Amino acid sequence: MTTHTFETKNIQSGYDNKTILNDVNLSIPSNQISIIIGANGCGKSTLLKTMARLIKPTGGDVLLDGKSIHKMAPKQLAKVLGLLPQSPIVPEGITVADLVGRGRFPHQSVMKGWSKKDYEAVAEALEMMNITEFADRNIDELSGGQRQRVWIAMALAQQTDILFLDEPTTYLDITYQVEILDLLTDLNKKYGTTIVMVLHDINLSARYADYLFTVKNGQLIAEGAPTEIITADLIKETFQLDCQVINDPVSNTPLIVPIGRHHA
Amino acid sequence: MNETLNTIIKARRKRRNRYVSVTIILAIITIGLCCTMMMLGNTIYPVTDVIHVLLGETIPGASFAINEIRLPRTVAGLFAGFAFGAGGYIFQTMLRNPLANPNVIGITTGSSAAAVFCIIVLHTSSTVVSLAAVIGGLVTVGIIYGLSRGTSFAIGRLILIGIGIQAMLNAVISYLMLIGKTNDLSNALRWLSGSLNGAELEMTYPLIIAVVIVTPVLIYFAKQLEMLELGEQAATSLGVNTNKTRVILMISAVLIIALATATTGPIAFVAFLAGPIAQRLVGVGFSNILPAGLIGVILVLGGDLIGQFAFETRFPVGVITGIIGAPYLIYLLIRINRKGDI
Repeated sequence: MTTHTFETKNIQSGYDNKTILNDVNLSIPSNQISIIIGANGCGKSTLLKTMARLIKPTGGDVLLDGKSIHKMAPKQLAKVLGLLPQSPIVPEGITVADLVGRGRFPHQSVMKGWSKKDYEAVAEALEMMNITEFADRNIDELSGGQRQRVWIAMALAQQTDILFLDEPTTYLDITYQVEILDLLTDLNKKYGTTIVMVLHDINLSARYADYLFTVKNGQLIAEGAPTEIITADLIKETFQLDCQVINDPVSNTPLIVPIGRHHA
Repeated sequence: MNETLNTIIKARRKRRNRYVSVTIILAIITIGLCCTMMMLGNTIYPVTDVIHVLLGETIPGASFAINEIRLPRTVAGLFAGFAFGAGGYIFQTMLRNPLANPNVIGITTGSSAAAVFCIIVLHTSSTVVSLAAVIGGLVTVGIIYGLSRGTSFAIGRLILIGIGIQAMLNAVISYLMLIGKTNDLSNALRWLSGSLNGAELEMTYPLIIAVVIVTPVLIYFAKQLEMLELGEQAATSLGVNTNKTRVILMISAVLIIALATATTGPIAFVAFLAGPIAQRLVGVGFSNILPAGLIGVILVLGGDLIGQFAFETRFPVGVITGIIGAPYLIYLLIRINRKGDI
């Protein structure tokens, strides 16, 4: 199990001239599952993208083991840090095994063919995501949940110590949401992979996260273990939502029950 | 684990074999077409004569026809076809859209406009015309890319701006054709339809050099190109420097396409058809630059042979490829229209 330090130092980031993140300092706990939550448009996705070098910060820096990720060679960085974007594009007609195989890119040199290690990494990723039976199938034939498992398998084949995921459960029904989060937890337990993701569902976040980051208006307003930080006040502040927080009987984590206008 | 491993290795090997055998077959067809181009004409010469002439022997009649007419024609078709095919494939793959090819987004129109301007207004030598065609193509791409950059890179925008620029350039060409003198027009017209007629060996050297230099670059970046297909974000997180890759691939592809256009004129639809045909034959999962280039050659040489010998009148190759390509463009537009994305 490899440990890394991963921090943001006073990052400012956004699109064009619009600053979305303002002076965010955080440190991602190594070998744990961190989840970023916040209301729509609060900057959580921008934060994730800035940390995963998809957006270059206009100020401050993102440091991996003390070194700026923007000063590292892209392929070297890609061996340590992976990201599953929210909506990656499926090349038309590609098979599952081929797509997963593309995760091996940072480990391959240009002229060399596939090594034994490449094949093994792909096989392992397919097995871990339970998609071996689809290996030769065309991705277009798969369901949404199966497809998402393929994309995660691609990120697994990359064999990075740190994995970012941008809303990996969006558009999936609840069964698949739980399945994906279980698989990511397996990954974290088995290899000690540091996982950082943006999720919409607060209750699933509280259940699966070792560590939560709460973002509002481009700033970090709370962080810590879910049991320590989730309170009705925090949810009110973050989401402008009145709720009660009770104990999740299954996982012993906080469970929020929204109130709304018609019930009290 | 072992079973999974075997499945993956077997599937990959199967596709590798398919890629290799298709490429070899395409190469054989290409060689066959080259030989046919050298043998056929007003007089048919046997292969032995062709080989003797190419090796430097003098055979009365055959030497002139082969060295001065058929060899330049074949060489121009060979390299221009490859350039159109490979360059078109790069654009289509990089921009993830079969419509995104040099014909549709106006690069070849830029070359043509510059060339026609030189022929009709400046009355320059053919070397200058070629040079102007290359510069015209590169400048057009620069403008299209610059205008479509905006805040972030959007493919739909690039295609639409390309189509707009193309319309403007076509207007320029039409205007030039209207004011042109009669004896310049036939020259300009030959240029606009794309033809191997009157090819001269010296004129093909820049194209040959560019193809020889650029092809290894394209093959070197083939894997990055595969990653780019997954989208900007996925490619970045896999360690691809997306901007650098795109600029290098685009300049390389434009360079060979513009030089090919400068040599033969814009041979319609070759850059558009070669990629999808190669994809059909080889399948997805590997970079199809080489097969696409070979298909380009086959389309150009095959089209030229048909144009020369199949009908009473001789047609330039661009007319033949146009007849093949136009229905496919319409089919593609209908299909894209149904899917609702550009």
